[in-house]
Amino acid sequence: MTQLDVLSPVPGRIIELAEVPDPVFAQALVGPGLAVDPVRTGPVTAVAPVAGRLVKLHPHAFVVQTDDGAGVLTHLGIDTVQLAGEGFELHVTEGDEVAAGDAVVTWDPAAVETSGRSPVVPVIALEATAGDLTGQRPAGPVDAGDALFTWAR
Amino acid sequence: MDKAEQILAALGGADNIVEIEPCATRLRTEVHDSSKVDEKALKAAGAFGVISSGQVVQVVVGPEADTIATDIEDLM
Repeated sequence: MTQLDVLSPVPGRIIELAEVPDPVFAQALVGPGLAVDPVRTGPVTAVAPVAGRLVKLHPHAFVVQTDDGAGVLTHLGIDTVQLAGEGFELHVTEGDEVAAGDAVVTWDPAAVETSGRSPVVPVIALEATAGDLTGQRPAGPVDAGDALFTWAR
Repeated sequence: MDKAEQILAALGGADNIVEIEPCATRLRTEVHDSSKVDEKALKAAGAFGVISSGQVVQVVVGPEADTIATDIEDLM
């Protein structure tokens, strides 16, 4: 069994998934994880939470899959698909290999909030069960690249 | 039937779909008649969950949503 450290893609404050204002994330329908309420100090560059291949890349969300098949979803804000990519600058292309901490998307959480949407960032261990995750970072401040939780694989 | 066919059938078929739009984790679907939507069949087709609100049915399928939406559009 391997232990996969999943890093925070953005700086902000840790919140429980249950507090995310979207039932799909709050009920962990696509997997367990944590969420980060990002800082509102201007543009933020979201980084890869794990090393692997960018198997899905939308302006507002991406999935990095590790060599052994663990998929980690980072979703930048809630209902941000409706922004159709406006205000999201991609630094990579779908299919690229990334290292943990590599820049993926630059966006402005404050602008998302101004548009009437929550900028909260769920970070999801896709298709994992809650018991697979340990070492969840407690509520409080977090920097991009800090460990959020460990996924036992 | 493949996944896209099963999901389309469980949503009441092509005639029941007003709009289907993929997001990172789900298919956001607007239907004409929500009583024709079969939640059990959606889950049997592989949906992790179904969130219905009036005529809007969100089928939670995970990050394959964009691929499945394209497959469904091809069937319509």
